[in-house]
Amino acid sequence: MGFVAPWFLAGLAAVGLPVWLHLLRKHKATPVPFSSLMFFERRTQSSIKHRRLRYLILFALRSLLFVLLALAFAHPYLQRRLLPVSRSGEVTVFAIDNSLSMRAAGLLDRARQMAKAEVSGLHPGQRAQVIEFASRIEVLSEVTDDRAALNAALDAVAASDGRTSFAELSRSLRSIAQSLHLPLRVLLYSDMQQSGMPANFSDLRLNADIRLEPHPLVSKQTPNFTVENVVAPRRVYSGAKTRVLATIAGFGTAKTVRNATLALNGRVIESKAVEVPESGRAAVEFNSLEVPYGRNQGAVKIDSADALAADDTFYFSVERADPRHALFVHDAANARDLLYFKAALEASGQSAFAIDPASADQTANVALSQYAFVVISDVGSLPESFEKNLRAYVRDGGAVLLALGRSSMGRAKVPVADLAIRGTRYAGREGDLFQSAAALDPSHPSIQQNNRWDDVKFYQAIRVDPGSARTVARLTDETPLLVDEQLGAGHILIFASTFDNVANDFPVHASFVPFIGQTANYLGRLDAGPPAVTVGSFEELRDAREKGTAIDVLDPRGERVFSLAEAATAQNIQFTMDGFYDIRRPNGRNELVAVNADRRESDLSPAAPETLRLWQNTASGVAAGGQAAGEQKPQSLWWYVMLAVLACAIAESLLGNRHLSVDKEAP
Amino acid sequence: MLQRFLDPATLNSIAGLDLIAKTVVDGFVAGLHRSPDFGFSQEFAEYRAYTQGDDLRHVDWNVFARTDRCYLKRYRGETNTQLLVLLDTSASMGYGSHTVNKLDYARFLAASLCYLANVQRDAAGLIVFDEDVTNYVAPSTRQGQLFRLLHAIEQAQTGTRTDFTKPFVHFQNFLRRRGIVVVVSDFYEDPALIVKTVEPLRFRGNEVILFHLLDPQEIAPGFREPVLLVDMENSGAAMEVSPEYARHEYRTKIDAHIEALRSQARGAGMDYFLVDTSRPLDEGLREYLSVRRGML
Repeated sequence: MGFVAPWFLAGLAAVGLPVWLHLLRKHKATPVPFSSLMFFERRTQSSIKHRRLRYLILFALRSLLFVLLALAFAHPYLQRRLLPVSRSGEVTVFAIDNSLSMRAAGLLDRARQMAKAEVSGLHPGQRAQVIEFASRIEVLSEVTDDRAALNAALDAVAASDGRTSFAELSRSLRSIAQSLHLPLRVLLYSDMQQSGMPANFSDLRLNADIRLEPHPLVSKQTPNFTVENVVAPRRVYSGAKTRVLATIAGFGTAKTVRNATLALNGRVIESKAVEVPESGRAAVEFNSLEVPYGRNQGAVKIDSADALAADDTFYFSVERADPRHALFVHDAANARDLLYFKAALEASGQSAFAIDPASADQTANVALSQYAFVVISDVGSLPESFEKNLRAYVRDGGAVLLALGRSSMGRAKVPVADLAIRGTRYAGREGDLFQSAAALDPSHPSIQQNNRWDDVKFYQAIRVDPGSARTVARLTDETPLLVDEQLGAGHILIFASTFDNVANDFPVHASFVPFIGQTANYLGRLDAGPPAVTVGSFEELRDAREKGTAIDVLDPRGERVFSLAEAATAQNIQFTMDGFYDIRRPNGRNELVAVNADRRESDLSPAAPETLRLWQNTASGVAAGGQAAGEQKPQSLWWYVMLAVLACAIAESLLGNRHLSVDKEAP
Repeated sequence: MLQRFLDPATLNSIAGLDLIAKTVVDGFVAGLHRSPDFGFSQEFAEYRAYTQGDDLRHVDWNVFARTDRCYLKRYRGETNTQLLVLLDTSASMGYGSHTVNKLDYARFLAASLCYLANVQRDAAGLIVFDEDVTNYVAPSTRQGQLFRLLHAIEQAQTGTRTDFTKPFVHFQNFLRRRGIVVVVSDFYEDPALIVKTVEPLRFRGNEVILFHLLDPQEIAPGFREPVLLVDMENSGAAMEVSPEYARHEYRTKIDAHIEALRSQARGAGMDYFLVDTSRPLDEGLREYLSVRRGML
């Protein structure tokens, strides 16, 4: 028995009140002179004794009332042991682990057979349910007592490439128990990977009405090799040989030499022997990858000869494309800005874009749709038709980078963007000799990676009224330096100075290169994602403009993932198996996504038995390491105590009234 | 209207016993005049034929002269009687649960009776006793007798215990003439013994009236809680009494006692009257007068 609020037991001291009233306070009969005692007898004493005895009953009732009140405030409870008979209506849940690691050595078949044996042992009318779990839960049967349905559900358990998540299993079991309002007996068939345990043990918490019976299929660690990671470019823009770096890992393995193979589109490119240390990692480098045009399926394989073959291949996708063109419009008399911009773009390692320079008067008949983005560097005036085309180009999703310099001084508005020019900010001999960048918005893609422009000196800047546009960078005198304006579906990025090392010394600073590289990627919408993702990750399929358009996704087996209705509405996709997903968008931006199983699955070391016992005991609260003889559940005694208080109060009132009735008759 | 002055509590606020007695009796007599049933006067009673041996002094000679026959003329005699008040002043008479204790009430009653007797030219006397005779005023009609009586009544204080035997034997010696003997007491004694003690007075031709004075608390005690009762006549005796006992057994016993005293007193030819000290005094006076009337 315990108390929720034991400090209220201090109220037991109130019992002293009736003790004082009845016992300590001596009963004193008032001496009253009376004319004669000839009609009184000694036997009246017995009446008083009887009366005192009744007072003792009243005293006991009053004391009990105080004790019960103190108990009620302390809120007592009993640790009630849940006997098997009390778990009436218990539902047996067969939880089968179908994660990647269960593919090893027929573990899934063993789990299925053990579960079927349990199904055959169910009592008639005993209801059960079959679920499979990896990183997410799938319910394979209803709660039923039909053994055929349960066996069919067990047969339907299929191996997946997902990662074990016992936390997700616990969460689902809690919600199942809450929805059924019945006690659960969970038979867990799994290899009990340590890597499936959550970082926070409280995520494994089970409700009191869940009885977990783990059936570990593996008792000791199985050696396993895997290709843990591959570093390769996602896109290449030239025919040069590309470097691929793979990491080979061994879990519980002895020091050995493995053979690693690089394959592209199923064709072996290169093989290398790699020495993997004991339970360690080794890197292997391939330098002979020549990527043909188009989307290519790459893979690094090892000859592991271990129990789990599913993790011996690491997929990656690599795409060969021509560089995209960018139009650089500059003043014909000044090529310095072109020089600095081009040099910075190349220095950033970005070969995705090819710069097409043009002077302002050459732009009249340029077809803008072929350019990934357009740079207009300090041009005095643009042909009207070009400016009009440029505006339409931006509205359709294009991007323009405007650099404002001396030529813009005479203009009232920024070309294309139509933002007002308020004047020019010069650094002079009086006052500040130069301005520097005071406030940078690091969330903007142009300066996300490199946001330290402290040593850059700006001598001249065009003061632009940003209006509702986003100010990404400001000078120390609050002059907007970099303004990003959304126009239609595209962007106009306004740099309020030049790229020619005259109005500032930005082009000769190290921070200029990443700025140009990131800006080009941002304006050209270049997706530089990883060459491979893990099973269970999500991919965005469409943006706001692509609403209603059908997107085809083919899974590694070549089957369509979405139905026709889903293809028109699905916003994203979760990759559930390893291999290559082919995503075909209507705008031609097709993509080949390489998906690999989470390599934490490759560590086949099972969780310690103590950990499993702890998990079991999260429901019953038994001390760690102890055998749970039975589940215990606190049962509140508050209502019983309150009923006793009520009964006691009524009895006290009745008895007290009976005593007081004498007084009522007295005159 | 004057009846309210007979209330014991009102009388208690009056200082002198003479004034109390006057107030009571005057008020009482004034009340009597409204009643046709009461009153007495000296008037013609009857004629009776003379028989041999009759006293010739009572022959109506006027009738003899007219009719030549001897008739005796009989009057309702205006005879003076003697009132002797026996006032019990034992310690128990000092009990009172309200403003007037039993002895005060007894004083008022005795004073009123003496006054009334004085008005009627009756000789009135007083014997104050507890376990012995403590004061004696011989019955007389002399001038100043009333004041002697009232003074003696005034001086009466509670004494010790009651003992009827000794004083009654003693004051039987004082009674030489027949009259009315009024015993005012709470009679905490065995009824048989009381009657046996008082009976000889009756044998001498006296009209005996027992005024049994009891406080309402003695008739029906109402204790709220157990009380330790201390005997007023014996301070060493004390007893704890529960309210239940006082409510049931005691009442039965005191009622039995009253009834036994009443029946035995009447059996012995004595008048018995229970006086509740919370009641007005006129009831006691009325009882006296009814007896006095019989004595005419």
